[in-house]
Amino acid sequence: MLGWVLFAIVVGYGVARVAVGHPRPDRRFARLARGEAAFLAAAAEANFPPGGDIMASGFDAGIPAYVDRLLEVLRPRTRLQMRMLFFLVEHATLFFPAPGRGGFRRFSSLRPEQRVAVLEAWERSRFWQRRFVFASLRAILTLGYFAHTPVLRQLGLAPLAIESPVCEADLLYPRIGALPESIPYTRDDLSEPSDGTPLALDGPLDPRYAEGAP
Amino acid sequence: MSALPTGDLRVFAQYERDFTEDVDVAVVGSGPGGAVVAKELTDAGKRVALLEEGPPFTPADFELDGALSMARTMREGGLRATRGTVMPTMQAIALGGGSLVNSAICNRAPDFVLDDWCTQFELEHTTRRDLDPHYDAVGKFLGIAPTPENVLGQRNLLFKRGCDALGYASEPTERNVRGCRGSGECFTGCRTRAKQSLDLTYVPAALRGGASVLTSVRVERVVAEGGRVRGVAGRVVAPFTGRPSHRFRVNARAVVLAAGCMATPVILQKSGNLVNRSGQVGENLQFHPGVAMMGVFRDEVTPQFGATQGYQSRHFLRDGFKLETLWAPPAVLAVRLPGYGESLKRRLAMIPHAAIWDAIASCNRSIGRVRARARGLDPNLSWRLHPQDLRILAQALWTLSEIFFAAGADSIVPGVYGIPEEIHSRAEAEVLRTRPLEVSDIVIGGNHAFCTTRMHGDPRRGVVDEYGKCHDVENLWIADTGVFPRCPSVNPMWTGMALAHRTAQALAERL
Ligand SMILES: Cc1cc2nc3c(=O)[nH]c(=O)nc-3n(C[C@H](O)[C@H](O)[C@H](O)COP(=O)(O)OP(=O)(O)OC[C@H]3O[C@@H](n4cnc5c(N)ncnc54)[C@H](O)[C@@H]3O)c2cc1C
Ligand code: SF4
Repeated sequence: MLGWVLFAIVVGYGVARVAVGHPRPDRRFARLARGEAAFLAAAAEANFPPGGDIMASGFDAGIPAYVDRLLEVLRPRTRLQMRMLFFLVEHATLFFPAPGRGGFRRFSSLRPEQRVAVLEAWERSRFWQRRFVFASLRAILTLGYFAHTPVLRQLGLAPLAIESPVCEADLLYPRIGALPESIPYTRDDLSEPSDGTPLALDGPLDPRYAEGAP
Repeated sequence: MSALPTGDLRVFAQYERDFTEDVDVAVVGSGPGGAVVAKELTDAGKRVALLEEGPPFTPADFELDGALSMARTMREGGLRATRGTVMPTMQAIALGGGSLVNSAICNRAPDFVLDDWCTQFELEHTTRRDLDPHYDAVGKFLGIAPTPENVLGQRNLLFKRGCDALGYASEPTERNVRGCRGSGECFTGCRTRAKQSLDLTYVPAALRGGASVLTSVRVERVVAEGGRVRGVAGRVVAPFTGRPSHRFRVNARAVVLAAGCMATPVILQKSGNLVNRSGQVGENLQFHPGVAMMGVFRDEVTPQFGATQGYQSRHFLRDGFKLETLWAPPAVLAVRLPGYGESLKRRLAMIPHAAIWDAIASCNRSIGRVRARARGLDPNLSWRLHPQDLRILAQALWTLSEIFFAAGADSIVPGVYGIPEEIHSRAEAEVLRTRPLEVSDIVIGGNHAFCTTRMHGDPRRGVVDEYGKCHDVENLWIADTGVFPRCPSVNPMWTGMALAHRTAQALAERL
């Protein structure tokens, strides 16, 4: 009997450390669980701290919201793989602690300097599998960081506005999901093809990347 | 079941019920291989159905964000990878196949490659003289020409400067492009409509000729009876989610599989291991694994301007590698940069002063295979980088570093584990030459894939003959890069299209 009680306590403690106590996110996500959002916010801030050569921090970039959008468009198997990656890094410190006091916690519950130390350990590991996990996580965070339009604007890398000429194919293909009746063009709308004039780099930005875009 | 009229294009929103269609030829896959075959066969007066799992993309459908774009245009969201040696590999799912997202680089396979193919694989009609008319025909149709100088931009011109200084031959890349404006956006779809991708060129031409082009249809099996192929069958699938709905069957006198070198063997395996008396279906998988390097210059490079991959060097082809300039959405390029925190931010901030160049290697000793999974059509890929091929990649990395410093770079970021994250001189870069590398030390990617249904003069050792006809079945043909007998040493698309052009002619004559 005592054995069962002890076992239940251990299991309960384990579940609590893995699944309970994440802060409530400031918005609702379509795919991300509360714990995943907390992990991503913590990892984003450790990977892209405030200040430095690019103004925006990982927190400013709203990386959890971006990852949520990404998960929405991925197929179930890929989605699962990505979530397993988050789970792995979030909980690895329950088994391999971060340096300093209180290192046996979930990644998102560690102090900022401990999170940085954990990332460093993943990146520098002599086991390529650990480096691979880190590189995959960093890749996802970096994609989210660059999706924050002020980052690309500060670097001068935001896509420019380009008006697409209307070509024969535009009379054939509707937008994805729509019926051919919705094609807005007729033969009269066909325009001159591109004449190869180089893009002017000081031209206006694509509206999705312009100042004030969401 | 209703019959489809010929000469029309079908999109997902139009399918309301199961359907069947009768044609002369069913062509599976609208990439560079399939689209060429479809157009040439309609020109020859055949009734053709071109079947494509992906949707057609309009400029309004292009996502400029790298990851979201990949999630929409690439199989497995762009996260497909091999097992064994873990290497990402991308295949498109769209009308036009890989041509929608590729950099439009066009190269003829060099003479030494064709000579090797002919002698090693018992081919008699695949010489330079045999294939050049097919390269010419495709080249003319797609306007393949060297990248004009006014859209090269610094990223490409610095590469030329470095090669010139070292005496390495280099040249503006030939591309299937008309009126390129140097937006560097080939990867997310060309908004200027300059890239002559197959959805803008061969597919409309096939439609004009009377072909039916059915998009959002996934062919699941080839229907065969009595030693002959009768057609194909599958399901309508929703764009992006792949959710299946209506069933269809296309009855045909001949079938051409051009679903790409990952999907074609899977379709054959799912069709009762068809045409596999040789045991070669899904075997011999080869890639052009690529490595990339960033070089940082004192002056701003504005690398976002310029034809995506506008310059190349074929100087080292016989040593096993080819060098190219590179651009992609900054987010996609940035994922390769090392570090985290402040140091990562500093490196990201260097991008406007940086050029990124890559090398692709002919890894003829690194062989893998494609296997169907129990469920679905996504392939199970296993592949292993051979130690000698790793040495080629290491030499390519060293050569890139040499060119960077010869072009005046202040530093390079090699992205190799175990050596400094930033290197500031050619002398320091020696470490790239002297330190033996492990496979896991470098980041590689392989978007050029081939050989999984290879051609061979001997039916016991290959799946198709040199015209793309399956050895085992009279009326089943293959026209994607899977038919290459070996790595072509250069970017594969033009060779794939030239071979497909020849396949279409041979098939038209026999029907
Ligand atoms: C990012 C990237 C950049 C590249 N850059 C270059 C370059 O600059 N130059 C170059 O030479 N090569 C380049 N390549 C490689 C080149 O694009 C491919 O080699 C080429 O597209 C292969 O043509 P294919 O017809 O064999 O197959 P694919 O282009 O893969 O076409 C196969 C088509 O079949 C469809 N399909 C698959 N399965 C089914 C099914 N079951 N039912 C119906 N349809 C199906 C697919 O959706 C796809 O549209 C690049 C590739 C990538 C991914
Ligand atoms: S570089 Fe830009 S304009 Fe030129 S072909 Fe590529 S996407 Fe089109």
